[in-house]
Amino acid sequence: MNGKTKASPHLRSKINTSGIMLVVILALMPATGFGIYNFGLNVLYLILVTVGTAVVTEYVTGLILKRAVTIDDYSAVVTGLLLALSLPPDTPLWLGAVGGMFAIVIVKMLFGGLGQNIMNPAMAARSFLFISFTPLLNYRNPALEGESPSLLDMLVKNTSGVIGETSMLAIILGAAFLIILGVIDLKIPGAYIISFFAFIVMFTGSFSPDYLASYLTGSLVFAAFFIATDYVTRPISARNQILYGILLGFLTAQFSLRGYGFEGIAFAVIIGNLIVPLLNKMGTGTRND
Amino acid sequence: MMTLKTFIGGINPRNNKEMAKTTPIEIVLPGKELVYPLAGKYGTPAKAIVKVGDKVFAGQKIGRADGFFSVPVHASVSGIVRGIKKRAIFTGEQVKSIIIENDGLYDEIDYPSPIPLAEMANPDIINRIQDAGIIGMSGSGHPTHIKLSPQNPDKISHIIINGAECEPYITNDHHLMLSEPDRLIGGLKVLLKLFPYARGVIAIADDKTDCIDLLREKTVKEARISIKILKNKYPQGSGRQLISAVTGRFTSTAITAEAVGVILLNIDTVINIQRTVLTNKNLTSRIVTVAGNAIKGPRSFCVRLGTSYDTLIEAAGGYIKKPEQIISGGPMMGNALKETDIPVTKLSTAILLLTKDEVLKSNQTACINCLKCVSVCPERLLPQQLAVFAKHDDKASFIKHAGKECLECGCCSYICPAKLDLTEAIKSMKLPLMS
Amino acid sequence: MIKKLNLKSNAAVERLFNGIVKENPLFVLLLGLCPALYVTTSALNGIGMGLATLFVLLFSNLVISLIRNSIPDKLRLPAYIIIIAIFVTIAEAIIKTALPALDKALGIYIPLIVVNCIVMSRVENYAAKNKVLLAVFDAFGMGLGFTLALMMIGAIREFIGVGELFGFRVMPPSYPGVSIFVLAPGAFFIMAFLFAIHKKLKVHKVMKETSPDAAEDNKKETSPDAAEDNKKETSPEAAEDNKENPSPETAEDNDKNKTSEAPQGKTEKKVKKEKEKKEKEKKEKEKKEKKEKKEKEKKEIKLKIAKTKPEGEKND
Repeated sequence: MNGKTKASPHLRSKINTSGIMLVVILALMPATGFGIYNFGLNVLYLILVTVGTAVVTEYVTGLILKRAVTIDDYSAVVTGLLLALSLPPDTPLWLGAVGGMFAIVIVKMLFGGLGQNIMNPAMAARSFLFISFTPLLNYRNPALEGESPSLLDMLVKNTSGVIGETSMLAIILGAAFLIILGVIDLKIPGAYIISFFAFIVMFTGSFSPDYLASYLTGSLVFAAFFIATDYVTRPISARNQILYGILLGFLTAQFSLRGYGFEGIAFAVIIGNLIVPLLNKMGTGTRND
Repeated sequence: MMTLKTFIGGINPRNNKEMAKTTPIEIVLPGKELVYPLAGKYGTPAKAIVKVGDKVFAGQKIGRADGFFSVPVHASVSGIVRGIKKRAIFTGEQVKSIIIENDGLYDEIDYPSPIPLAEMANPDIINRIQDAGIIGMSGSGHPTHIKLSPQNPDKISHIIINGAECEPYITNDHHLMLSEPDRLIGGLKVLLKLFPYARGVIAIADDKTDCIDLLREKTVKEARISIKILKNKYPQGSGRQLISAVTGRFTSTAITAEAVGVILLNIDTVINIQRTVLTNKNLTSRIVTVAGNAIKGPRSFCVRLGTSYDTLIEAAGGYIKKPEQIISGGPMMGNALKETDIPVTKLSTAILLLTKDEVLKSNQTACINCLKCVSVCPERLLPQQLAVFAKHDDKASFIKHAGKECLECGCCSYICPAKLDLTEAIKSMKLPLMS
Repeated sequence: MIKKLNLKSNAAVERLFNGIVKENPLFVLLLGLCPALYVTTSALNGIGMGLATLFVLLFSNLVISLIRNSIPDKLRLPAYIIIIAIFVTIAEAIIKTALPALDKALGIYIPLIVVNCIVMSRVENYAAKNKVLLAVFDAFGMGLGFTLALMMIGAIREFIGVGELFGFRVMPPSYPGVSIFVLAPGAFFIMAFLFAIHKKLKVHKVMKETSPDAAEDNKKETSPDAAEDNKKETSPEAAEDNKENPSPETAEDNDKNKTSEAPQGKTEKKVKKEKEKKEKEKKEKEKKEKKEKKEKEKKEIKLKIAKTKPEGEKND
C-alpha cells in the first residue's frame, strides 16, 4: 500500500475518454470504408494525411506550448477523421494537412486544448478551407442540378458529395452503434433532421420526397449523428439540446436553399456552436440555476 | 410486488456483496488492547470518568455525556484502564481516547432490571437511548436521542428504517435483517410508541429478496408497519434519496427530514434501541463487514467496540493478495487508511481491502463535457461546474449554484471518463463553508 | 535579444519611439482595428491609409495643442470633431484628386478617419494637455506606428492571400492564394499573430527599461502611461520579467543605492548590513513567487491535462 492516501470515492467506472473516442472512431469506420470503396485509394491517403497531420500537430503544439502531451486520448484522430470525411473525394492531400493543422492549432490548442474549443474544430477547419481554397474544393451538388439519386444509390453508392456521405447505410450503422452504446442519444440528431426537413418544406412550399431527398440527405445525416452531437460544443440541458438541433436545422436549411453543399452544414454548425453558451446561460436544467 | 419509484440519477456499480453475503455473522473476540475514542462525528465529546488503573466491567460507562448533544462511552470488555491519550481513528485524526487492557474475562456489569415498555414514559425511553450511547450506526454518527426529540413529535408521519445498504461490499444490514428480524420489528414498535401518529416503513433494496420475504411475513399482521421495496441503486441509502423514494417529499440542507415529518434510522440502530429498552444493556458491539479481493475469507463480524482493525483482518483469514487500498467504510464514501491499528468505533461499518484491479483508475484527461456527471448526480447538480468553482476558490458562485447540497456520494467521480477528482474538489470547497 | 537602444534625453524623440514601438496604436493600444481590418488587403493600401491618418493626426494635434487652453471643457468633444473633420476633408480632397487609385481602394474609410479611435484618443489624451512640439511628435510617432503596422499586416495578407507584394507577383503562378486572408477573418488571424509576437518579443518592455526618463515618467501624473505601467508591473508577467532579468535591474538598483546613500564613516557597516538584508528579502520574494507559480501550473495541469505520473501525487 502506498504511503499516500487517496480521496473517496475509491471505485471508478471502467469507461475513460480514450475509450469513448475509440468507440466514435469505430462508428466512423463503415462510412470511411464505403468512401474508400467508392472513390479509390486516394481517399485513403487523404484520410491518413489529415489524421496524421492532426495528431502530429497536436503533439508538437503541446511541446511548444509546454503542456502535457495528450495525443493518447485519440481526440485528434477523431477531429482529423471528421474533417477528412467532410472533404470532397478529389481534394489535394496538402489541403487535408492544412485543414488538420488549422483545426488543431487554432481552434483547439489556442483556446485551451481538449474540452475548451468554442467551435467544432473539424467544422471550423472545413469552413476555413472552403473560404480559403474555394476553387480546389468542388464536387457535384445534385440539388443544384435538380437531380435526385435513386434510393439504392443513396444507400450505398452516392458518388456525388463529400467522402463521408457515400453510404447512408454506413452512416446509420455507425450511428446505431453509438446510440446502443449510450455515447449519443437521439435528441440532437432527431431535432436537427426533423427540423431541417420541416424548414425546407416551409420555405419551398413543396413536399415531394424526391425533391427533399436531393437536399443533402447524406451529409445531413452524417452531420446530425457525428458532428452536431460533439460533446464539447453541445448544450447541457435536454430542452436546450433540442433547441440547438432546431437551430442547426434552420441554419442548414437556409444555407442549402442557397446552393451550399456540405459547407452550409459546416457554417451552420459553427454558428450554432457559438450560440450554445447563450443557451447554457438560459438554463442548464439542474439545480445549479 | 411493485418496486417503488426511485430517485433521479445514481449509479449501479458492481455489487460485490456475494463475498460476504453467504457467510453468516461471526463473533470475534478482541485482542489485548481496546481503544475507546471519546469524540464522535457529531456533538460534544464525552468526558472520561475513569482514571488510569481503574478496573472496569463490560458495559460500564467510562465517559459521560457532556450535555444533551453528547453520548456516553462504555467499555465493551472487562479490564484495567491503561491510559487516556490521543489515538488515531479511521479519519486519520488523533482523538483523545480511553485505552483499556483486556483481562479476557468479559465480566459484565450488573444491569438494573428493565421496566416493561408499556410502563415507560417517552422521556424515559429517550434517556435510556442516550444513556446507552446509541448513535446512527450506518456511519452517520448522528446521536439517536436527538433524532428522536423533534420539535413537533405529533407531526412525524413516517418512521423509515433504512434497509437499502447501497454501498458495494457491505452486508451488515442484510445479515441483521435475516438473523434478528424480531428485534428489528420490536425496535420499530418502540419508536411507534414514541410517535403515535407515525407509520413505520422498512425500506429494503430489491437485491435482498430473502430479507423482504422474511420481514413481509413477520409484519403481515402489523397495522402500522409496512415493507417497501426500493430499486437497488447507489446512493439509495442516502437520507434525502430514501425519503424522496418512500414518501416523495423533498429535503435539502435547508429542509431537514424532521421538517417534512420523517425520522430515518439504520437497522443496527433500531435493533440496539430494542435491545437497550428491553434489557437496559448499553451499546458495546456492532457488525462490521470485512471484504475485498485481498482478504482470504470475507464476511461480517459481530465485534466489540474498541477492537483493533488488525484483529478483524486476522479473523477474516489475513491477506492473500497485496491490498492496493485499505478503506474504512464503503468504497464510495469511506476513508482510505494508512495503518490498520485503529479501533472499531460506532461509526466503523466495514473494512475493505481492495486489490489493484478493483480500484485502478486510468489517466486523467481534460473535461470533455460528456455530461455523465450531470445525469448521475442524485441532487441534480452540475458537478463539473462546481469543481471548476472549487478549483478557482470561487465561494460565491459555488454557493449560488447549490454547491452546499452536494451529498459527497461520489457518483460524479465514479462515472467521469476523464477521471477528474470532482468529489474531492467539491468536498474541499464544502468543508470550510459547512463549519 | 533586441539591443537596448540609447535614447537621447529628448522628450520629443521619445514620443516618436513611443508611438512606433512602445505604445504602437494598433499592436499595443488596439485602436483603429476597424480600418485596419478593411484596408490591409495590400501593403500599398495599408501605407496609404496610414499616411492619410498621419496627415490628419498631425494637423489635428497641432491645431488642438495650439488652442488647447481656449476650448471650454464642456465643448471639447464637438470642437475636436470639427477640427478633425476639417483635416479629413482636406485629406479626402487631396486623395481624390492626386491618388484616385488609393481612393478607390480605401473607399469610405477615408472619411471615416474622423471617427478613427487613434485620432480622437491622441487628441484628447495628449494634444489637449501638452505643448505643441510634443503633440506634433506624438502625432508623428503614432501615425508612423500605425502606418508601419498597417504595412506589415497588409504585406502578409497580400503575400499569403494573393501571392503578391507591393503589387508585384512574388509567388509562382501555380500558387492558388489562400483567399481567406483577403477577407476580414484572415485579417483577424494575422493581427492576432502579430500582436502575440509583439508581446512575446516584449519590444515595448525593452523600451521602457532602458528609458533614462524613468524618474521623469513617474513624475508625469497626467500621462496615462504611468497608470498603465503600474498595472503592468503588478501583473504576473512582471514577476516573470523580474525572474528573467534579475541581474541588470537589481545591479542597477544597488548602484543607485550606493551612490544615493553616500555612507558616512560610522554608518558604513550599517548600510552594508541593510543592503544585504534587502538582497536577501528580494531573493526570498523571488523564490516564493517561483514556488507559487509552479504550484499554480501544477494544479492547472492536473485538472486539465493528462500525463502519466508514476506516483499519482495529490495536492492535499
